[in-house]
Amino acid sequence: MGFFTRKLVDFAYFLNSSVWYQRKRRFFYNILENDESTYKKYFDIFMMMLIISSVSILIYEVKRDVHDALNIFNSYIISFIFFIEYVLRVWIHSSISKVIIHQDEYSDLLGRDFNLLFVFKRVFHDKLEYMLSVKAIIDLLAIMPFFHELRLLRIFILFRVFKLFRYAKSFQTFSSVLASKKFEFFTLGMFAAIVIFVSSVLIYVMEANDPSSPIDTLYEAFYWSIVTISTVGYGDVVAVSPEGQLVAMIVIFAGIAVIAFTTSLFVSAFTEKLEDIKEAKTVQDISKLNMIYIICGYENIAKEVAKKLLKDGFSVLVLDNSSQRIEAAKEDNIHALNYDPGSIQSYAKLNLNFKIQVKAILCLRENDVANVYTALTVRSVDKDIKIMSLLINKRHKNKLISSGVNEILYDKEFVGLVAREYVGQPVAFEAIHAIRSEYTNIRMHELGITDRISKTVSTVSELNSTKYRILLLGIYKKDKQHFFFNPIGSTLIETGDYILVIGNHMFIKEFMKYLSSK
Amino acid sequence: MNITSALIFGNNEYGQEIAKNITHKYSHITIFSLGEINKEEHSDFNLEKFDLSDDWDALRNEHDTKNSIVFSALSDESENIFLTLSLRSVFKDITIIALAKNNEDANKLKMAGASKVIPIVETTANIITDMLKKPIITEVLHSILYEDSKLKIIQIEVANEEIFTNQYPADIDWSDKYGVLVLSILHEDESSEFIYSSKTKHNYIKNGDILIVVGYEKDLDKFKKLIGGK
Repeated sequence: MGFFTRKLVDFAYFLNSSVWYQRKRRFFYNILENDESTYKKYFDIFMMMLIISSVSILIYEVKRDVHDALNIFNSYIISFIFFIEYVLRVWIHSSISKVIIHQDEYSDLLGRDFNLLFVFKRVFHDKLEYMLSVKAIIDLLAIMPFFHELRLLRIFILFRVFKLFRYAKSFQTFSSVLASKKFEFFTLGMFAAIVIFVSSVLIYVMEANDPSSPIDTLYEAFYWSIVTISTVGYGDVVAVSPEGQLVAMIVIFAGIAVIAFTTSLFVSAFTEKLEDIKEAKTVQDISKLNMIYIICGYENIAKEVAKKLLKDGFSVLVLDNSSQRIEAAKEDNIHALNYDPGSIQSYAKLNLNFKIQVKAILCLRENDVANVYTALTVRSVDKDIKIMSLLINKRHKNKLISSGVNEILYDKEFVGLVAREYVGQPVAFEAIHAIRSEYTNIRMHELGITDRISKTVSTVSELNSTKYRILLLGIYKKDKQHFFFNPIGSTLIETGDYILVIGNHMFIKEFMKYLSSK
Repeated sequence: MNITSALIFGNNEYGQEIAKNITHKYSHITIFSLGEINKEEHSDFNLEKFDLSDDWDALRNEHDTKNSIVFSALSDESENIFLTLSLRSVFKDITIIALAKNNEDANKLKMAGASKVIPIVETTANIITDMLKKPIITEVLHSILYEDSKLKIIQIEVANEEIFTNQYPADIDWSDKYGVLVLSILHEDESSEFIYSSKTKHNYIKNGDILIVVGYEKDLDKFKKLIGGK
């Protein structure tokens, strides 16, 4: 290996292991290509603003004089920004250092000499592949107005409008929908091209020698053919001979077919892709949320639970393999996906970080078999996630426990407990029920003691709860897992404790504000 | 009136769970099955069969219906409503607690004459969301309400108003003086007030008012004796 080659390979390894370099590269990748990145959204908006201002200046200067500063901004500054963007995109499209390292390892393995030419070819191929893509060509053309002295190149500003496709997600969706009908559009295009070609030649042959006909050249024949087949029919160029009119009639019929076929293609492409587009949008929306409860199955109890969680500001995602139930969830304005909750694939598609974003999975199908299956699937996806499951038949309780459910929700037991309390203390039951159901303004609240609070409040008497007309029911010491009812004033308050209070919700808010601001 | 027996209509999981949870309260518990009873079926409770023919003489003769509480827990919602309606038409003063699938059926059951309706879906959903939203409160309340904890929540009717003379409920230091916490007061006109509401700063406690009190059994007993409560 020659000196230059050795240095090149060393430099490639250096770049590949350089944290600074990789961080910078990742940063530019995120703002240019990573849809999940927050910065990309701001970058896209910034670029769209540049494009709109550039086109606005172009329109304005058609009939008016533009200030020099604006011209400089339009021709140089914007072009320069676009140029930098173009270079960055070429850079991040493929990694040169990786190609060099790969080639070095390959040569080492096979005991061959390092092939520098292969590396150049490979790098050139990769970069050229990007530079010849439609998006990159548009980017390059959008830089052209930099050479604004050439009047013709000013029109390239319009290419900047095409750059909008790159930044606006809806444009990308639009093109991807149309791309799904590539074959049909190609067939249609071929049909239209043949009709245009044949009719242009025919009309030229039949009309070009007729002095009264406006069609003199093949270009005019071609123009007439396109205007006619598109069913626009300006009427500035018309066929005058009976033969030409016959061709016109055929082209008109072909035109109706082309238009009808095109329209139906657009409609069918969007109809077929509509659900996919909506689904992708839901997945994207959900991926930005935190504190999500995933509800598997959307039946009676699940509906009520989802409604209550949403009311309290939590994020809810419903998964169900029944499209009917998913439609019902969507009608209730809940994020819902027609995914099978019993399939690992469903959770992979969600693009969620379970540990950070998901609070718990609720298996709320009114069917024990489905809940067991879902619980097992979820447990195989994440070992630590909290799973709560409805139990319908008591005999299946052990199966749910074995499948990894943390908490079992047995509605019959709940009803039994409610009945027990009601027959024992009906008035007390109603009072507690009213507080828990939040029908009145009185609420029961658990307030976590943070570091900040424990620094300023060290004992119960310092809480001053009576001043806020709040009843302090007790303190829950999480480390001891014990509830201290009605604690005396000197009881210590520590970080991690929870105080349980009852009072008017406005006073509780004030109390919380007071504690946080102390 | 001292209710000593419970009549549970509906030999299903709901009926069994209700029976299990109220055994400490009633000396006689009977579960009524609509139709034939499976002889091989094992139950810890007395099982009897009944039908919806509106002939309640057997029930009247064999059970002390005047001192009974009834649970309508049939699986079929329409049958449950029909049962509640026919029981109410025959037993005017009996307490009927009925199970409803949801709030819509709960209204129908109330119209049919149920004294109290437990909507299954809403109750279950409330408990689930409470467990998620306020796990600690739910745990504490669960132990106070349903488990054999020493901490209890009870209702006490005031019979000795003199001890509260010239003191508004909001101004009394219940915790310091009696070792209990009073959550709310139910007045004779059935209006209920939270202990720190504005009204409790202007109205004195009267005999017949019911206090909802939380505390340890020992303190509650003392307090009960003090205010002459029932």
